[in-house]
Amino acid sequence: MKNKNIDLTVNLGTLKLINPLITASGTCGYADELDDFMDINQLGGFITKSITLNPRLGNDVPRIVETDSGMLNAIGLANIGVEKFVQEKVPLMERYKTPFFVNIAGQTIDEYVAVAEKLAQCKRLAGLELNISCPNVKKGGITFGTDPALVRQITGEVKKVVNDKLLIVKLTPNVTDISEIARAAVDSGADILSLINTFTAMVIDIETKKPVLANRTGGLSGPAIKPIAVYLVNKVYNEVAKSAGVPLVAGGGVRNASDAIEFIIAGAAAVTIGTGSFVNPDCAVKIIDGIEKYCLRHNITAVAELIGCLK
Amino acid sequence: MTTLPSKKGIFTASVLQNRGMGAQFFRLSLELEKRANAFFCAASAGQFVEIDVSQLALPVEKLIPENLADSSQRNILLRRPFSFADIDSSNDCTIIEILYCVLGPATLRMKTLKTGDTVNLIGPLGNGFTIPEEKKSAILVAGGMGAPPLIHLAKVLKKQHQDIEITAFVGAKTKNDLAFFDIKTDKLKKKPDITLHQFAKHNIKTFISTDDGSAGFKGFVTEMLKNRLGENKPAGAETIIYACGPEAMLSATAALSGEFKIPCQVSLERLMACGIGLCQSCAVKCKDKNGGDVYKLCCKDGPVFWADEVIWE
Ligand SMILES: Cc1cc2nc3c(=O)[nH]c(=O)nc-3n(C[C@H](O)[C@H](O)[C@H](O)COP(=O)(O)OP(=O)(O)OC[C@H]3O[C@@H](n4cnc5c(N)ncnc54)[C@H](O)[C@@H]3O)c2cc1C
Ligand SMILES: Cc1cc2nc3c(=O)[nH]c(=O)nc-3n(C[C@H](O)[C@H](O)[C@H](O)COP(=O)(O)O)c2cc1C
Ligand code: FES
Repeated sequence: MKNKNIDLTVNLGTLKLINPLITASGTCGYADELDDFMDINQLGGFITKSITLNPRLGNDVPRIVETDSGMLNAIGLANIGVEKFVQEKVPLMERYKTPFFVNIAGQTIDEYVAVAEKLAQCKRLAGLELNISCPNVKKGGITFGTDPALVRQITGEVKKVVNDKLLIVKLTPNVTDISEIARAAVDSGADILSLINTFTAMVIDIETKKPVLANRTGGLSGPAIKPIAVYLVNKVYNEVAKSAGVPLVAGGGVRNASDAIEFIIAGAAAVTIGTGSFVNPDCAVKIIDGIEKYCLRHNITAVAELIGCLK
Repeated sequence: MTTLPSKKGIFTASVLQNRGMGAQFFRLSLELEKRANAFFCAASAGQFVEIDVSQLALPVEKLIPENLADSSQRNILLRRPFSFADIDSSNDCTIIEILYCVLGPATLRMKTLKTGDTVNLIGPLGNGFTIPEEKKSAILVAGGMGAPPLIHLAKVLKKQHQDIEITAFVGAKTKNDLAFFDIKTDKLKKKPDITLHQFAKHNIKTFISTDDGSAGFKGFVTEMLKNRLGENKPAGAETIIYACGPEAMLSATAALSGEFKIPCQVSLERLMACGIGLCQSCAVKCKDKNGGDVYKLCCKDGPVFWADEVIWE
């Protein structure tokens, strides 16, 4: 029951999405897993699991643990590697009309560049999302995304090889000033910023006095992080994105239309659904309906009017 | 396992009955909405559903066991996986039965379900047990909470493979932990005989063990199994072992399967965030074709695996 009078489209740089709903990296597989639950073509966009140069097995189990209104994960970037991804998964995307973004990760800048170069050849892809929440092995394991100089370098190097593909830089919230990092990414060529990745956290089993996750720490996601995510999105929108004209892809704990609208009002052009899909794999589609209803109720003819309209 | 993935969906189910079997164990019967019939009619033993329990109420405070008082305060986010202990699916009706044990905040909430309440579930998920053609005898090995899918499997074997002879080995910590079963005790004897109704009604010869000796053989179920296999030496080509229970028990069963050269399928459990292959939280370390390690997904590639494909730690 689409209401033809409401324009749900939003622009991400040169790309027009049919609506603002995008899957978050690592939470929706490679798309085919969701086929039984919804029509992928109804999504504004799709971001795949992080892909690295070589296949990665990932961490030992337990890889997840539930927390109050949230969960920790330490999957360890388990993925099939860029070679196999291009051979096996990219062709599957032909079945859908949805714009696909591939999230890329690495342990050195060279690795990121090598993956980006390969993916830049794939016609089907709309863009790449740079996951900079990974440890840099050459710099003693410091997370790329916490150091503005590294962010400048990695964004600049990857930008050189992506040709006409859109480059999204995905920010980590585990920093003192997220706007400083956002600025570094924008200055060195990011077309779009996405936020936020998970918050580093720990759960302890008090019987064994050990962390529950095999990896000891994990990333907190889900409704528990939503208010912090909304705040950070609004901060980056006001301090960096708005003046630079760089759209934000944002999320953290979204599970219904009200959550998504909050992010749009805070400054997001598109909203990501991550952990929410685990609970209700079809929630993105329901959220789209909910956004339409909200627009009707508020006499809004185009969702884009809502972006960053926070009073 | 190599069965084709079945179509899965999200369904509403109404509670027909939620009956306690002792303090900790419950039997939940659910009738699924009609739309589900087409999805569940081909569901197999060993498959499971993911139930959304986030909306369910807690029991009143005085009914919350002391050991769960703290964890009961936690909000629930993720769905919880449960195997079918039975499933009856026809063109006009699907009824599934779940046997569950109250262990934490989710199962504590499930206790409060009443006849007529509704829950939301996703299923049927994963790949169940397969029954190879040439088998003449099946050995079921259930440890602790591993009984439900094997109770279902026993029924399927009895119905569809009458020529397969079934023997069950059931182990628990104590007699009280056997409570997934309807137990009949012959009180006249000094050490009472116990029959597990779910197996007894199909005339399945059942051997019981408890860690403390409060019923049956004193020791692990796998010790009892080893003794029997040693005595009977069943032919590997004609026999198959099906096992479900704690990982250590499955690992010991897998070792026996290797020692006695009897093929074995195990149903594994992992913490699952999604149950449908989205998150990779449920990794199971397996051998790949070239002898290396590969992680398979318990929810999508399993939960039933061949014992010799799993790398047991
Ligand atoms: C495929 C599958 C089928 C299952 N079938 C059944 C069933 O038929 N009947 C039944 O009673 N239970 C079954 N379980 C286990 C059931 O899902 C958990 O007991 C339930 O999620 C506990 O939720 P809770 O919030 O009450 O307790 P929690 O607080 O989440 O857990 C209580 C304790 O159990 C452990 N635990 C919970 N889930 C798992 C798991 N998946 N693997 C290993 N340890 C775990 C926790 O670490 C904790 O120590 C199944 C699990 C899987 C993966
Ligand atoms: C199980 C899981 C796996 C994830 N994997 C990735 C990943 O591979 N790359 C990445 O950039 N983000 C990953 N994320 C982070 C999400 O994309 C998202 O940024 C974060 O979970 C916050 O959103 P949410 O609360 O809606 O889930 C993962 C999150 C979860 C829960
Ligand atoms: S539970 Fe998410 S992939 Fe298995």
